[in-house]
Amino acid sequence: MLDVARAAVDAARAAGAGFADARVVAIESESLTVRNQEMEGIDRSSSQGLGIRVLLDGYWGFAATARLGEGEIHRTAELATRIAKAASRLPREPVTLAAVEPATGRYQTPMQQDPFTVPLEEKIALLMEATRRVQAVEGVTFAEGGIDLFRSRSWFASSEGSAIEQTIVHSGAGIDATAIGDGEMQRRSYPNAFRGHIAAAGWEHIAKLGLVEEAERTGAQAVELLSAHECPSEVTTLVLDSGQVELQIHESIGHAVELDRVLGMEEAYAGSSFVTPDDRGRLRFASALVSITADATLPGGLGTFGWDDEGVPAQRFPVIENGVFENFISSRETASVLGLPSTGAMRADGWQSLPLVRMTNISIEPREGTLADIIGDTKDGVFMATNRSWSIDDRRMNFQFGCEIAWRIHDGKLTQMYRNPNYTGITPEFWGRCDAVGGREDWTLWGTPNCGKGQPTQTARVGHGCAPARFRDVQVGVRA
Amino acid sequence: MPGTIGPDEVRRVADAALGIGGADGVEVLFMHSWGGLTRFASSAIHQSTWSEDTDIRVRVVKDGRIGVASANGFTPEESRAAAESAREIAGVAAPDPLFPGLAPPAPIEATDRLDEAIASASPEQRAETVADVVGRCAGLEAAGAYETSAMEMAVANSEGQFAWAPWTLASLSAVAKSQGGGTGFAETFATTLGDVDASGVGERAARKARSSDEPRDLDPGAYTVVLEPAAVSTLVGFMAFIGFGGRALLEGRSCLSGKNGQRVAAPTVSIYDDATSPLTIGSPFDFEGVPRRRVELIRDGIFLDGVYDLRTAKQTGKEPTGHALPAPNPEGPFPLNLFMEPGDATLEEMIAATERGVLVTRFHYSNIVHEVESTITGMTRDGTFAIEDGEIAHPVKNLRFTQSILEALTNTTMIGRETELASEFFFSSSRVPALRIEGFHFTGRSDH
Repeated sequence: MLDVARAAVDAARAAGAGFADARVVAIESESLTVRNQEMEGIDRSSSQGLGIRVLLDGYWGFAATARLGEGEIHRTAELATRIAKAASRLPREPVTLAAVEPATGRYQTPMQQDPFTVPLEEKIALLMEATRRVQAVEGVTFAEGGIDLFRSRSWFASSEGSAIEQTIVHSGAGIDATAIGDGEMQRRSYPNAFRGHIAAAGWEHIAKLGLVEEAERTGAQAVELLSAHECPSEVTTLVLDSGQVELQIHESIGHAVELDRVLGMEEAYAGSSFVTPDDRGRLRFASALVSITADATLPGGLGTFGWDDEGVPAQRFPVIENGVFENFISSRETASVLGLPSTGAMRADGWQSLPLVRMTNISIEPREGTLADIIGDTKDGVFMATNRSWSIDDRRMNFQFGCEIAWRIHDGKLTQMYRNPNYTGITPEFWGRCDAVGGREDWTLWGTPNCGKGQPTQTARVGHGCAPARFRDVQVGVRA
Repeated sequence: MPGTIGPDEVRRVADAALGIGGADGVEVLFMHSWGGLTRFASSAIHQSTWSEDTDIRVRVVKDGRIGVASANGFTPEESRAAAESAREIAGVAAPDPLFPGLAPPAPIEATDRLDEAIASASPEQRAETVADVVGRCAGLEAAGAYETSAMEMAVANSEGQFAWAPWTLASLSAVAKSQGGGTGFAETFATTLGDVDASGVGERAARKARSSDEPRDLDPGAYTVVLEPAAVSTLVGFMAFIGFGGRALLEGRSCLSGKNGQRVAAPTVSIYDDATSPLTIGSPFDFEGVPRRRVELIRDGIFLDGVYDLRTAKQTGKEPTGHALPAPNPEGPFPLNLFMEPGDATLEEMIAATERGVLVTRFHYSNIVHEVESTITGMTRDGTFAIEDGEIAHPVKNLRFTQSILEALTNTTMIGRETELASEFFFSSSRVPALRIEGFHFTGRSDH
């Protein structure tokens, strides 16, 4: 397949492109869902094709096809070049690319057991047993479990001489319980919401999740939530579990520091950012306790790879250091605007998609203590766990998140359970009030497999290493 | 540029899957999409793409067990391979006691929704249209996207049903931005290329941006709002997710569960789903091959019923309405062509009738807060204005709303006479008017 990518690059150059790169991508996925001891579905999908990106006189063009015959490769390369020519209808500063050493090599997700070779019977049996235990809890209306497997093989070539082959494997699973009664519906998930915990790993990751062991607790909490009090509306101290810190980082930090957004390239759709190009090393984004790292080399992360989709090597670098904003996540084009090297974050969700600046693994650096330590150190406040809802404005300032469950913290102990908890804030104010971040012992590398961006919309798979954290003076319990 | 593959060739490829043997039933869902999208930002084209893809999704039934497999090749061999993979899955899957069977043969109403000009639109044509939009935004920064897309879809099954339909859509959106912090949004959706009004989109976005310069703070609270159609489409679109699906209704997860025949909106509010209308886009049959029917959802403020696929129809003893999604589908049926009936008011009349309120162009990044209460939250964006004494007083910084949709529909006091089509993704659309709603809850604000 590397030959196909090289042929596409050659065809694009022959059509007049000054620069070209091409990716052949083959994606396989397998998804199983069980609900109330019935198979909701087993789905195997595959998709393969070729995407060609060209620069012609400083203008981009991109075309993609599912057919890989020689004639189709030439036709698609010529179309990409024609698209680039058409873009010059509106004059602009020509695109330049930050320099990168041409790369050759292979990368494969490390794993112990290929999840696609595990018999379907074993997968079904795991989900059936876990959800049987959820459903055994009196009051549970629905017990659901799912397994999701993903494998992407890609072959990348560029006119600068790069030739890269990568195989990425992701595995994940989760269960959830839904209880319905008296006009109320409550859901609890384990290990996390929205299909559980997904990692760059093999079946060994799923086997260690403890779905069966945690099933009864998950069901019991869903039922208990039905009769819990509504989360009160107040300004208070808020402690978040690492699963909710994941979404908080994703929406209010990860997207805010994407350099294409900062430069206005996503203005009309997903929006821009309150962070400006001049903010590096100056902007007080968070309290001094908060350090955020982008790391595409992190084992197990959904944003882990050998090279990004421009052939830039995977990197680890600080985004926020002791509360101060330091670096954007960027591509060759966007980094060049600021005269910087690319931070290697250009990613596409398939052969048919133009690579965009995407998160890799954007994680909070652990500090000290466990979740129990943080709660024990809190006199009064609210502890919220597991994301349920998210919304943030087009500059990543005003946000509102909902969680599945909450408890009152009183004198360092969890007391009353609350249902329908949510909280709202302004990004730099909120992060500025962070006065505790948990340590390595409660730090989890979560996977977010559904990050939407771009037109046509792409769905990126990104990672967030998160510890529980505490924030002061937060508005919780927003009511209509 | 490619054209349609056509029903004859689709049937030939599907037959390779339908004939695999060792199965009690086989269904083939075929999709073929192609098109280009030209994005612009900072008044220049920065991303311009084109792609073509096919997808064959095969569902196999064997001893009451179901398997689904898909691949994006389009040859008889690849079709058969997908069917064999699905059959292998069905061989080990647990039985599905609620499986209703595949769709029986039924005639599909012919629709003429393929515009050759859209299907073959060139990058040069898209660039020219974008240039027209940008040209109308003089002195402003323009951003947006222009997409010309085509789709053909077919369903064939071993019961003898065969349905095929192509359609096209051109969509153009623009955000104009002024140096004074003003932003303006406009969009249009067209089923023929000649109906794409680029000048109108550019002028509307520019006018909004200029008039929303230097926005002021407005305290959150309950306000009378005038929502333009793009904002109304958010409310109606979320009702598709949390209200009208037959499975959610059946399981008590819908905000409308158990409310059949009850008043859920103002008497002037009527919402229906109708894929057969020439005023919408998409396929005249669903992803199981069942013909889509017009379904009255809310009539004169009374909730009548939801939409049903074969499974939920069997469970409830109702007729399927042609609203299945692709298998496997844990979410259940879904309305993809919603309409809200127009009223008799103009936007100006709604503003004039408002002593103190807010005019909203559109919402951004909305999400569900509480499904059963139909509560969602989101932000205003690209043109939010204070209304005072019946007139637009000044632009305001963006506000966060947290609001029950059903409460908003109940508090609707005026409905616009014009409707606009809004589409958030390829298969789903809603055609809605502007609304005047009292007591709409803004719960926060942003800095811009």
